[in-house]
Amino acid sequence: MARITLDPITRIEGHLRIDVEINGDRVIDAWASAQMWRGIETILKGRPPEDAWSFTQRFCGVCTTVHAIASIRSVEHALNVEVPLNAQYIRNMMIAQHSVQDHIVHFYHLSALDWVDIVSALKADPKKTAQIAQSISEWPGNSEKEFKAVQEKLKSFVSTGRLGIFASGYWGHPAMKLPPEVNLMATAHYLTALDYQRKASQAVAILGGKNPHIQNLVVGGVATALNTENVATINMERLAFLRTLMEESRAFVQNVYYPDVVAIASAYKEWFGYGAGVTNYLAVPEFPEDTKGTQFALNGGVLFDANPATFRVIKDHRDEYLIKNINENVDRAWYRGEESLHPWEGETKPAYSDFQENGKYSWCKAPRLEGKPVQVGPPAQILASYLSGNEKVKKLVDGTCKQVGIGLKDLHSTMGRLAARAIRAHLMADLSLEYLDKLIANVAKGDTDYANHTEIPVGDYRGVGFHEAPRGTLSHWLVIKDKKIHNYQAVVPSTWNASPRDGKGQLGPYEASLKGNPVAQHDKPLEVLRTIHSFDPCIACAVHAIDPEGKEITRVKAL
Amino acid sequence: MRTLIFGAGNLLLSDEGFGVHAIRYLEEHYDLPEEVELFDGGTLGIMVTHKLEEAERIYVLDVVDAAGEPGKLYRFEKEEIMLDRLPLKMSPHQIGIQEVLFLTEMRGTCPERVSLIGVIPGSLEAGCELTPPLQGRVAQVAEMVADELRADGLEVRRKAHNGD
Repeated sequence: MARITLDPITRIEGHLRIDVEINGDRVIDAWASAQMWRGIETILKGRPPEDAWSFTQRFCGVCTTVHAIASIRSVEHALNVEVPLNAQYIRNMMIAQHSVQDHIVHFYHLSALDWVDIVSALKADPKKTAQIAQSISEWPGNSEKEFKAVQEKLKSFVSTGRLGIFASGYWGHPAMKLPPEVNLMATAHYLTALDYQRKASQAVAILGGKNPHIQNLVVGGVATALNTENVATINMERLAFLRTLMEESRAFVQNVYYPDVVAIASAYKEWFGYGAGVTNYLAVPEFPEDTKGTQFALNGGVLFDANPATFRVIKDHRDEYLIKNINENVDRAWYRGEESLHPWEGETKPAYSDFQENGKYSWCKAPRLEGKPVQVGPPAQILASYLSGNEKVKKLVDGTCKQVGIGLKDLHSTMGRLAARAIRAHLMADLSLEYLDKLIANVAKGDTDYANHTEIPVGDYRGVGFHEAPRGTLSHWLVIKDKKIHNYQAVVPSTWNASPRDGKGQLGPYEASLKGNPVAQHDKPLEVLRTIHSFDPCIACAVHAIDPEGKEITRVKAL
Repeated sequence: MRTLIFGAGNLLLSDEGFGVHAIRYLEEHYDLPEEVELFDGGTLGIMVTHKLEEAERIYVLDVVDAAGEPGKLYRFEKEEIMLDRLPLKMSPHQIGIQEVLFLTEMRGTCPERVSLIGVIPGSLEAGCELTPPLQGRVAQVAEMVADELRADGLEVRRKAHNGD
C-alpha cells in the first residue's frame, strides 16, 4: 500500500490537493481537498442586487462571464423579469464564445500535455507529420514547413535548457504512447491554438464591451445599444467583424481541435475504461430562445447511475424538482454547521481543522442532488441533450463514437470527458453563428428592444440563476430583502465535481473517478493528473501571488 | 511603440487586487496617449496571452509572495523573468504570467521589454479594499510607471481635476 499526495494539482486555477491510496499499480481510494477558502459571497451581503453580477465576475480567475450571467439571471428569476430576444441572442453569443475560448484553452494548454510528449516531438519527421495531419483534416496550417518550423523552435529552446512552460511535464513517461509525429502535430497546434482562443475572446469583448469582465449586463437585458447605422453601437460593421471572428474560431475547433481529440482518443482508447467515477449527472437547459425562458437550444436533465431509464428532463430554469432538491453538506468540509443546507439558507462559516482523512479535509462544500453526489460538465450536457432526442447532438455524438470506435457508455470516463468537451465546443461554435443570424433577422424585423428596465422593488424575494457553463451547471442563489442582498450562495461546477465526502460517506466525483486508475510510477502520477484534468478543475479562488523566492510549488509525495 | 500596462489580481481578495487597483488609479488620475493601454487582466493568465503579444513594451503590476514587509516593492525585468534567474514557478498556477511569457517567446511574439512591478501583500482575505500599506503604494507605482513612460518620450499628464 502506498500513499501519494499531489499538492497543488497544477495547471488549474486555485489550490487543489489530491491524495490517493495505491495498492500495487491501482488507486484504491482518493481524497480531493480544496486548499483555499472562498468566502467571497460574504462580500455581497448588503449590496444592491443589480450590482452583484459585476462583483461575481471576480469570483473565479477564468470564468468571469459565466458568473455574470448566473448572477443577473438570479435577480431576473427573483423578480420574474422577461428578457427581450435581442438581449437573449447577445447573451447567448457571449456564452457560446466564452465556451469556445475556454474549451480550446482547456484542451491544448491545460490537459493535452498529459497525453502529448513534447520532447518526443523533437524526433518526429515533419514530412510524415504533415501526411498524418492532412489525412485527418484539411486545415491549411498542417504543412511540412509549419511542422518543421515548430520543431526547430522547440530544438533551440531545448538546446539552451529553456523548456520554460514545458519543463514540468512527465516526458518519457511509460504511459505516454503517441508516436513522435503525432506529438509534433499536437505541439504545433498547442501554439496555434492561442491565436484562436484570442478570436473568441475578441468576440466576447465586442459583445460585452470588455473582456475579461464584461460590462454590458443589466437586470432585464443588456446595455448594448443596437443601431445598425450608428458607428458607436453594435452596427453592421461590428457584426461583420464578429462573424469573421466566430467563423475563424469555428474553423479551428472543427478542423483542428476536434480531429486532434479524435486522434488522441483513438490512440489512448483504454482511457475510455478509466475515470467514470460518479455517474449521476446534472445539466440545465441552456441558450434561451424566447423572452420567457421556456425554449432552449440544448436540453437539461438528470441521470442516475448512468442508467438512461432514470433520465428526467429539466425543462427550464424554474424546474421545482431541481430548485428544491439541491443541498450543500459540510460534514467533511472546513465549515461550521452539521445539517445539509439549501443554498437559500446557505452559510459560510469557516472552521479550519487541518487535513483529517477521517474528518474534515477540504474548503469545498459537498453539493448534493436528492442527497446524491452528481457530476456536472460537458458529458452531462451532452448526455442530457442526447437522451432528450436533440438531433444535432445525436448526430455529432454518434459521429464521434463511430470515428473513435466507442459506444455512448464510454463517455463515462476520463477520455469521454475530453471527447464530450470537443463535441460541446463544436456545438458552441455553430450556435454562436446561429444567434448572430437570429439577432440580425430580429433587428431587421424592426425589434430593437434590448432591455426591460427593472427597478428592484421593496420586499422579500428569492431567486436562482442557472447557467450551463463550460465546466457544468452553475447556480447563483440570492435572497433580497428591502432592495439589498440578504444572502448569496454560488454553487459552482467545480464544487459539485471537487466535492469531498458527505455525511453519508459518499465520495465526490473527482474522488470516485480516481478509484481503479492505474499509476505506473508512484513518483510521477501522470495518470492521476489525466483524470483530474479531464474535469477542467478550476477551484475558483484565483489567488495568484507571484513567488520569486522559489518556494516549492508542486509537491508530489510518495509514501 | 504600443505599451501595455497589465494589472493582475483578484479584486475581491483585498491586497490580491493590487494590480487592478493600480490600473484604475492610472485611469482616473492620468491622461495617457493612445499608444498606452491600461488593461485590467484580473487573474486570467493564459486566456489573455494575446494582450501581451499585441504590445511592444509591457508593465505587469501584481503582488509578489516574497520575504519582507507588506508594501515592499520588487521589480524584475524580462531577463530575470525569462533566463531562469528567477525560479521557474513564480505563480502557484501552472500557467501564470511568467509561463505565458515563455509561451509567447516560443511563438516568437514576446515583447522586447517586459517589467514586473510587484508588491508584497499584507492580506489576502475576502474584501474589496487594499490594506493601508498597499493603499500607499498605488499612487507611487502609478507615478513610477508614468515617469518611465515620459522617459520613453510619451506625453503623460496628471489630470488637473484629480490632483490629490
